[in-house]
Amino acid sequence: MFRKILLATSGAPSTFGAARVAFDMAKRYGAEVIVFNVMGVPTKAFSQEVNDVRTGEKVEVDDEYRAWVEEELKNTFAKQIECVEFSKMVLTTGVPHREILRAAREEDVDLIVMGASSGESSAYRMGYTGSTLQRVAKAARCPVLTVHRETASYWGGFGNIVFATDFSKQADHAFKFALASARELECDLTLLHALDISGKVLDQNSIEDELIAARQRLRDMYVPLMGDFKNFDIEVWEGVPYVEIVKMARERSADLIVMAHHSRELDPEKARIGSTMEQVLMRAGCPVVSVSKPDKV
Amino acid sequence: MTQKILIVDDDKEIRSYLSELLSDNGYETVTAVDGAEAVAIAQQEKPDLITLDLEMPNEWGPRFYRKISQDDALKRTPVVVISGLSGIKYAIPKAIASLTKPFEPAQLLKIVKDAIG
Repeated sequence: MFRKILLATSGAPSTFGAARVAFDMAKRYGAEVIVFNVMGVPTKAFSQEVNDVRTGEKVEVDDEYRAWVEEELKNTFAKQIECVEFSKMVLTTGVPHREILRAAREEDVDLIVMGASSGESSAYRMGYTGSTLQRVAKAARCPVLTVHRETASYWGGFGNIVFATDFSKQADHAFKFALASARELECDLTLLHALDISGKVLDQNSIEDELIAARQRLRDMYVPLMGDFKNFDIEVWEGVPYVEIVKMARERSADLIVMAHHSRELDPEKARIGSTMEQVLMRAGCPVVSVSKPDKV
Repeated sequence: MTQKILIVDDDKEIRSYLSELLSDNGYETVTAVDGAEAVAIAQQEKPDLITLDLEMPNEWGPRFYRKISQDDALKRTPVVVISGLSGIKYAIPKAIASLTKPFEPAQLLKIVKDAIG
């Protein structure tokens, strides 16, 4: 299912969770891991100087600096690199999201794995996803797996996948990925629609009518596509969508949440990562994979 | 492989009517007279679908449903509620359909076919 995985990492602790998942998956599938690092953002055109992505300091990119960064990364992921059969390291300079996308395209990877944000860069933990992830998720042709924090559950021993859908076209691609993963890993699949009733005052009958209608819609839309796959549950929970999705993942001890992003805005220029997606990424206790395009699923 | 359907209803007439209707259409059927008996039969027979009455002596439909939804082997079995009570769609919200007696046989057959083929 995955032959090439691009691990986009700054080498900072906030990406260690992502690295663990990437290497675990590679071990399981015999996949190749490309450890990809953008050393710095160029300061001026044709200049050798860049702003180091970790420290923000101006540095001159020469062989010495390059060797130092490579050594640092090798040390950081030493044990994991030994565990997988094929891995290579790619270092470059540039604007991170553009370089990640370029590398993903050139290497024809099946999955991009990255952290959700650069972590505790200030006094409080970031409550929103990083701009690099935003841009990569929006434009990537392949699924993007994000791991925001180190958690107990990782790809490798999968029991349950939660697929959260808003019935959009993009969610269809995400569903394909969720089903293929559940088949491949022989695990349970929970199809979840979170019914957004925030800001509404509804009587109990209306809520239940909407829940029944949503369950029916899930059944009509996805069950005919399941074929002989039987290990699935259909769930509709009402509330604030991101809360319900995270709750469901916890309830089922899910090891992966599959969602589509940018599903509301069809114009890719205007699209921003969905607020539900963003909140799920930041809060879920398991890796979250977002799929929006059909190319690699 | 023939799909097996468990019919749970306290009314003998309905049981034989459903049994005939479904077996004429190529399904294997087993029957139970109330929820208590149905649990034992469901565990033994592992049906592919259950038609469930709500009002029955001894154990009612919703209690039966609660019991099977705690059983790993049975919790994903689709349930079609067939009852004469009003407002039945709220009784078992996760049922794949709720039919009020008297129901159209073609409608039931379509629901069954869509669910289990």
